[in-house]
Order: sequence, then C-alpha cells, then structure tokens
Amino acid sequence: MSSHDMETREINTVDKLAREVEARGHGAFVESYDPRDDRMVINMGPVHPSTHGVLRLMLELDGETVVRCLPVIGYLHTGMEKECEDQNWRGAVTIVTRMDYLACLFNEQVYSLAVEGLLGIEVPPRAKYIRTMMAEMYRLSSHLVWWGTQGLDMGAMSAMFYGFRERELLLDFYEMVTGLRMNHGYFIPGGVWEDLPQGWERAVRNITSQMPKRIDDYENLLTMNPVFLERTRGIGVLSSDQARAMCASGPIARASGIDWDLRRDAPYEAYADVSFDVPIATEGDVYARYRVRVAEMRESVKIIEQLAGNMPSGDFKNMDPKIMPPPREDLNRSMEAVIHHFKITTQGYKVPAGETYAFVESPRGELGCYVLSDGGTSPYRCHVRDPSFVNLQTLAPMVEGGLLADLVASIASIDPIMGGVDR
Amino acid sequence: MELVSGREWHDRARELHDGNWQLVDLTAIDRLRLIESDPRFEVVVQLVNHETKERMTLHVTAEGEPPTVASVTPIWPGANFFEREVYDLMGIVFDGHPNLIRIMLPEDWEGHPLRKDYGVGKVPIDFVPQPLIQIDAPGQSPRNDEAAIRLDRLGQAVVEGDQP
Repeated sequence: MSSHDMETREINTVDKLAREVEARGHGAFVESYDPRDDRMVINMGPVHPSTHGVLRLMLELDGETVVRCLPVIGYLHTGMEKECEDQNWRGAVTIVTRMDYLACLFNEQVYSLAVEGLLGIEVPPRAKYIRTMMAEMYRLSSHLVWWGTQGLDMGAMSAMFYGFRERELLLDFYEMVTGLRMNHGYFIPGGVWEDLPQGWERAVRNITSQMPKRIDDYENLLTMNPVFLERTRGIGVLSSDQARAMCASGPIARASGIDWDLRRDAPYEAYADVSFDVPIATEGDVYARYRVRVAEMRESVKIIEQLAGNMPSGDFKNMDPKIMPPPREDLNRSMEAVIHHFKITTQGYKVPAGETYAFVESPRGELGCYVLSDGGTSPYRCHVRDPSFVNLQTLAPMVEGGLLADLVASIASIDPIMGGVDR
Repeated sequence: MELVSGREWHDRARELHDGNWQLVDLTAIDRLRLIESDPRFEVVVQLVNHETKERMTLHVTAEGEPPTVASVTPIWPGANFFEREVYDLMGIVFDGHPNLIRIMLPEDWEGHPLRKDYGVGKVPIDFVPQPLIQIDAPGQSPRNDEAAIRLDRLGQAVVEGDQP
C-alpha cells in the first residue's frame, strides 16, 4: 500500500468518525467535533445532575481540559421584574420571594427595605430583630443545601442527607412562624406580617444548641477528608483581581481575599447591635470557599443567639393605617378601619415618586433592589440585582485550563440558584 | 444621583474605575409613562467604593434609535451579563460590547419586554424550533451590520486577530 493510499484512508476514517459523532450526538450532548485539532464542543445541562437546576454550559474541550466555558442561561426566565410592575406594592413581595428560592426571605427583605426607603416610614425595632433573625436562619439553611450539594458533587453522598436533616429543623421553624416552608411573603414593607408565635424561644434555642454540634460533625466528615481535600484544594482558583473584575460578592469574593461584608460594612436592620466575625480566606480555590461558608454558618448561629436573647417587645409592624391593614378586631367596631381596609385591599397604597437602591448581604453576596416609583400604587420599575447572576460570570475564569471533572466542584462552590439567575 | 450623557459615559466610567469605584449593578429604565419622558431610556448604574464605603448612582442617557450607550464591559468585565440583560429586555445597544446577544429570551424573540409599550398578553408566544445558538454558521447578531460579525463554535463573536 502506498503512502498516498494510507493518507486517503486516514482522512476517510477521520471524516467518518466526525460524521458519526455529529449524527449520534448533535443537539443532545456533543455540539460539534473536529477530530483534526482534538477539540470538541459539548453541552453540559440544562438537565444535568451537577448543574444545580437548569444551568447550561457550553464547553470547548481539548481532551479532558476545559479550554473555554460559556454559561447559557434563561431557561427559568419568567419575567418576574415585569410581573412586579402589575402588582401593588404589597403584592410584589410575593413575586420577588420566588427569585432566589433558597433564600427567599432575603428577597423580601431587600424589596421591603427599598419600599420603606421610598415611603420614608419607620420600622419598629421588634420587626427589625425578627427580620434579621429569620434572615440569618435562612443563611444557615441555604448554606446547608450548599454543603450537602457540594459534598454530593464530590462523591460524598451522606453529606446531602446530613445537610438536609438539619435544614428540616429550620424549615419547621419557618413553617411554625409563617405557615409555609418556602416563598413566605412574610416580610412586608413596614415590618413583618405576623408576630412570632408562642413558644418561638424554645424552638430557636433548640436550633442554636444543636447547630454548633452538627457543624462540628460536618467538619469531621469533610474538612480534613483526604478525598475531599484532593478534589477541592487548588481547584477552581479565582484571584482577588479576577473576583473584583467580575464584580463578585459574598463568600466567593471573601474566599479570594476581598474583605467586604455588607452586614459589617453597611449595617442595615439590626446588624449594628450584634457582634460577629467576617470569615476571610485568600487562596480563592474551592476549598477556601468551603471554609468561608462553614465559618459563616457558625457566625450565623452566634447572631441568631444574640438576636433571640435581646428580642425587643412592642409592635412587629408599622401600624400606620395608610399602609397597613388594620387589625381584624377593629373592623367590627370602626367605620374608619373598614374604609382603610377596603382601600388597601382593593387599590393598595401609593408610594411617593422617586427611586432607591437597597441592598442586603444574601448567602450568595450582595442582593440589591432598585425600585422606581411614579407615585402610583404599583412599582414603575423593580429590578433585582441577584448575586447568583453576577457570580456566575466567575465560573469561566475558575474552570478554564482545568479538568472537566473539576468543573462540578467549581459550580457547586459558586452555589448558583437558577431562579435568581434567570428571574 | 449623577446624570451622564451616553457619549461621555465611557470616559467617565474609566475615570471612576481608576478611582477605585466598583460596578455593583447596571439596569435600565423606560421613562415613557413618566412626566419627564425625554430622553426615554436611561441606564441606571450603581457603584461602590470598597475603601471609603461610599455608594453612587449614575443615570446614563441612551439616545438614538436603537438607543445606544457605550459598553463598560472592557472596563469592568463583570458588566457583561448586566449589559446583555439590558439589551435583551430593554433593547438598549451597548456599543463595544464583545458579545451582545440575548441572554434571557430565545434568540428569535421579537421585542423587548421591559419596555413600557410592550404588549403584555397581546403578543402570541411562539417558539420556533431552532437551535438556540447556531454552531459554525454565520449567526444572527443584534446589530444591523450583522454580516460583518463572525461567530465561532461557542456562538461568540470573533474579534479579528483573536486566536482561540
């Protein structure tokens, strides 16, 4: 056989292979395959067990190495910002709470802070304390889901069971207070919808006494686990310059050495009254983000203890009848109360024209809410700056040049919530 | 609140970036139904300075048809998603953005839903069965000079002289 024949045969085989791959895999998994330069473009997601929802990644691979990574989002987009424009000011709470569904109370909190800023109303101290305490609990339960899924993605199946077991404690508490296990609509502009129920102190004590021991258990399972260390140390490194360039916030930025926490640096609600540390790491790898989040869980327990111990008495919402429906018993004796009730339930209240930007530190970073009012009964424009959406951009610098198998570790350490990303 | 015209925005952003200001949020408003409705589109930018802990809000006016503003993605790379979102939902074009394609809605979606004149509930929702991003094919780009833009295998616009 001459060398010319061999060459032709090789080209034929290569073309055949390429055709076969395209025919078998196109659209489902392999987007395109060029055997001449060993590069392959594959799709990861939007239905993939490690992409945390409907995240789709287009990956250009050179063998096992990720050359480029491009997140494709929008699979969960439901136009919530537009929907808010058709709701009254109170009703929009039930829309924003569905954005970041693992930390729903933070969405309600930031929206309420924004509307309160426009209304210029006071929130009673008890409402501030209840909100801060419930939000910190949400930070715990959100980090528990992250801990479970981070472990699961690294092959530690039991992490999922333990994380969700403790989360159940917290979900039970939310159910006791708000009647729902998620998407509560509990924080409203002006305070909280209902006071804490009887027996809440015992339930909180139960959580704060159990959690430190449980977090010790988690650390025993994963923190010094050689397999876990091997798969997370030095993986998905994000330098502090990259984090700053990508506008990252929250635990991702803090694990890259950016010392910035809104709870400490711009105290809102009751954070000025509590003492806590802000965990920082400088390595910027998956393991650093792991340690920062676990340390944050311990700090959250401390904050919950302090707030529950100093809970002030008094009103749990601003009782201004122009923005808050009157108590049920007043409707039976006061004509004025009936009128106010009717106005608020049918039309809603008006908010003075203006714009504001409120922000809170959610478990994933800075959660912001830009609200513009035209003086009417519904938001003219309500934009939520979701930290998952912004932090997702740090995925490409983390994974490019790394192995495909390490990609899932990086995704889990970003902890994106697709409801918040797509809104 | 500071008002910046779309033409000055790039230089102003560079200045702010050098002065340690960090981009936090970038969104847009449609003033169509407000009393002061001219100019109609404004990009609203939130900035923070981590050293002094100050915050700043800027309104950048977007003029022209389609409304156009200079992109700040070359200055703050994190603005990438924000600007794509604003382009997608509000229809503001960011001049100089490396990859200005729709981010939330399908590629073939018509209109920009966050605009105040977008007919909510009046537009039939019709998904044309086509791949979201066309690979190895000259794709649809949002600009008029679409023929000049070449897309690579990930559907990204290829910058001349930029080899993968």
